[in-house]
Amino acid sequence: MGIPSTPFTVLRDFYAEEFARIEREFRASSNGRVATQGRAALLDRVILDLSREFLAPELNDLRKLCLVALGGYGRRELFPHSDVDLMFLWEDASIESRYREGTQAICRALWDLRLRVSPTHRFLSECEKFQPDNPEFNISVLDSRYLEGDRGLFERLRNRALPHMIAGGWSDLLRDLAELTEQRHRKEGDTIFHLEPNLKNSPGGLRDYHVAWWVGLISKMEKAGMWATPEDIWPAKALQDMDKAFEFLAAARCFLHYRQGRHDNALSYELQAAAAARGIGVENGRAIDPAEWMRIYFRHARAVYALCTQLLDETLPAPAKLRGFLGWKSSLLDSGFYVAGTRLSLLEPSGVHEPQRLLDVFRYVAKHGARLSREAEDQIHEALPSIFDSGAALPSLWSNLREILLAPHAAEALRAMHSSGLLVRLFPEFAVIDSLVVRDYYHHYTVDAHSFMAIENIHRLREAEKNWERPFANLFSELEEPELLFLSLLFHDVGKGMPCGDHVAGSLDAIENVFARLDLKPEQADTVRFLIRDHLAMSANLLRRDIFDLETIRVFAEEVGTPERLKLLCLFTYADIRAVNPEALTPWKAQSLWQLYVLTANYLSRSLDEERFHAESGDLQFVDRIFPLVSSTASREELASFLEGLPRRYLFAHSAEEIASHFPMARKLKENNVQLRIDHRRQIYALTLLATDRPFLFAGVSGTLASWGMDIWKAEAFANAAGVVVDTFHFTDPHKTLELNPSELLRLQKSIEDVLTGAISRETLLRGRAGAQSKPQPKVSVPTQIRFDDSSSPHSTLMEIVTQDRPGLLFHLSSTLANFGCNIEVALIDTEGQRALDTFYLTFGGAKLRPDAQEQLRVRLLAEG
Amino acid sequence: MRIEAIIQPSRFESVKEALHQIGVEGMTVSEVRGHGRQKGHTETYRGREYEVDLLPKIKIEMVLPYNLVDGAVQTILKTARTGKIGDGKIFLSKVDEAIRIRDEERGEGAL
Repeated sequence: MGIPSTPFTVLRDFYAEEFARIEREFRASSNGRVATQGRAALLDRVILDLSREFLAPELNDLRKLCLVALGGYGRRELFPHSDVDLMFLWEDASIESRYREGTQAICRALWDLRLRVSPTHRFLSECEKFQPDNPEFNISVLDSRYLEGDRGLFERLRNRALPHMIAGGWSDLLRDLAELTEQRHRKEGDTIFHLEPNLKNSPGGLRDYHVAWWVGLISKMEKAGMWATPEDIWPAKALQDMDKAFEFLAAARCFLHYRQGRHDNALSYELQAAAAARGIGVENGRAIDPAEWMRIYFRHARAVYALCTQLLDETLPAPAKLRGFLGWKSSLLDSGFYVAGTRLSLLEPSGVHEPQRLLDVFRYVAKHGARLSREAEDQIHEALPSIFDSGAALPSLWSNLREILLAPHAAEALRAMHSSGLLVRLFPEFAVIDSLVVRDYYHHYTVDAHSFMAIENIHRLREAEKNWERPFANLFSELEEPELLFLSLLFHDVGKGMPCGDHVAGSLDAIENVFARLDLKPEQADTVRFLIRDHLAMSANLLRRDIFDLETIRVFAEEVGTPERLKLLCLFTYADIRAVNPEALTPWKAQSLWQLYVLTANYLSRSLDEERFHAESGDLQFVDRIFPLVSSTASREELASFLEGLPRRYLFAHSAEEIASHFPMARKLKENNVQLRIDHRRQIYALTLLATDRPFLFAGVSGTLASWGMDIWKAEAFANAAGVVVDTFHFTDPHKTLELNPSELLRLQKSIEDVLTGAISRETLLRGRAGAQSKPQPKVSVPTQIRFDDSSSPHSTLMEIVTQDRPGLLFHLSSTLANFGCNIEVALIDTEGQRALDTFYLTFGGAKLRPDAQEQLRVRLLAEG
Repeated sequence: MRIEAIIQPSRFESVKEALHQIGVEGMTVSEVRGHGRQKGHTETYRGREYEVDLLPKIKIEMVLPYNLVDGAVQTILKTARTGKIGDGKIFLSKVDEAIRIRDEERGEGAL
């Protein structure tokens, strides 16, 4: 190839012919590296020619000015339609005025060639200083390459000015690089698993490849005062992976540029199919399936992302949250790992051959947000066969997984478990959605990444900032077993990787296998099944039903059954939609979802009188479900008689096993008219009471619990048609009376029975309580609101009261109601922080309360405050 | 003609499908909130008052040649109607010119 000469038309034709030649060669070889080097060389020749024309016929005569290639052009990685970064470097101002016109003519000629040239003019002295307001220039000058002009000037740039700039500003350079990278990653959802990734900017793309290069370059210059090569700064295995990744990404990006005829790096579905058909980046250039081609892309992106983020983490100080754990070092060492910066490394790789120690690593990651070092990830990957193929006993999987799922960085831990291969070893069901691309117009991420992101969306509610996020954050804080939500989110879409038409059915099949490895209680498994089976129900109602139509709400509430399940499903829907793409959950959708939640929650709490079990109305499916679990000699008719008239909420709120255990208690009421049981689960005590209805029943139990210092945070009171009351109280033991003195549990039980049977008078109870309780100072002031509703129930008046929670509150309320002459037909007692949220279905003389009675009751409740 | 229809979110999928069936291929869809005569109301949830005064709606915008306008309007009327208050509105207005950005074609050919 000879060097052309002006006129401009000759240069233009020369550039076009050479550009076309490089493209032809790329089409034949698919070698992106060669194509980008070829274009850089072409530009070198064009700029040489223009420099001779506009600066000096003999470029060796040029003094105190040199032309420098920057950025990708400087690295000789000039993609077909990428920008050309060109610097005119001046010794001083005198030389600038002499050549200014010539440099401008060069730029105009390049623009006339339709090249996207970004020229920069700098004095050498300017390059010695870190420029805080221009991080892009500070970074692009690291890849400077001599083109033409005063070579001595360029040598001073490379050997003096830039080392000086790095020595003074290396930490600022790295900080800027980290911030720019973090912003870019955040914009792309912090995941490599985009269905239509951007080959340059997506996590794991070419920009990350270069970040890994720059971090090494800066660190090497700072430590050794010399320019580095990739061999100097990247570990041997990483170097190999990075080299392969670059070959693939460069080929794919060249393919995109040529095909689109412009600087377009978005790898759309259509372009994925075209690249796969051409075998771009594939060994021997053979055509493969687009999904398989994308899996190759994700493998390379994963390698690039891992090295880029690890190098950034290693060079930056650890965030404060992890620095605090340095004092924790000894216990970390005991666990066989340590944290440097934000990366966790293994002290002894053999330690993770012990299953519990292996899981401890991920429990730590989930709790503190440290990331695995690449070496640790490889070591864990290599340890897995010896653990799983040896048939060694695994520790309790559910207790470990539960702890991981509940921890604030659960998604990070699950991603690390997946990258290292552990997740699929524990749950082979997950393998079918590994890097799985399901093409539609809405999903941006692969199915596995979507599932992790959904879990992350829930944990991020802890730091909810937007107004429309806060109601969901409150809901999250109210969940009784959030781990079930996370477990469901993890497996809800595995059916998408299964050969079945209905992905929900596939996921339900898969979760049964998962249950076999987790010791979940039957009711917990039921909840997970419900969430997976109905995970699209709220979206479907939002899209296809009028949510302000009472019938829509009634049908939906019936499907959901209980307030707790409604909360779980609402949060599931929130997390699932938000993990589709960054814009999928608009404030509009979030508010509509919240409205559906509120309408349904209110329906569930205000329709208890109407929604009751009636054997004659075809409710016998409940009997069918419960009867096989009843261990007495009772008949189906007796069971149906017990259930008759109980609110359906009772049937949904309790598992079949629980109801089956209530039924014998009801039968024993003939012998003893108070049946009582207290169960203990973690920090919560659950008291179940069956008794024949009588005045002060609810007040008696709540008063006794309060007099013992127990804190009631939830309660429900129901009654069947025969007047048998089924009350449940969930309470905590803040003074640890029962925990420290287990025998006191029997005494508490006896005390409640004595109050209910009249063996101890209410006055005695009150005296005991007066001495026992001291009012703690409330942290938040909650004004009392009382609202009566005569329209929701045909038989009762609903009284909803919101007030400051305090010891003995429920006793005070229920006593006032009983003294007023009200009968509590149904009670739903709940707390939210320091707010007590209680709903009572009241009757007075068997009928609703008249307006004047409501007003009198309101005055009395407020007066007795 | 430009057609702007404000409809119930629950009717959107059906309306879109019905419009496609009569040959309407392009439309712009926005999630909006508002109210007409169907004023909102206040809900209380766990003691907190919750204004539902601006109700969720979907806004569909289309610019169509005259020969499709009547059919599109009839389709929206038929498909979006539930008979209840809050079914929405349709607004028609004239459009002076339409230009396709890609190739600068003008007039009906650009639609």
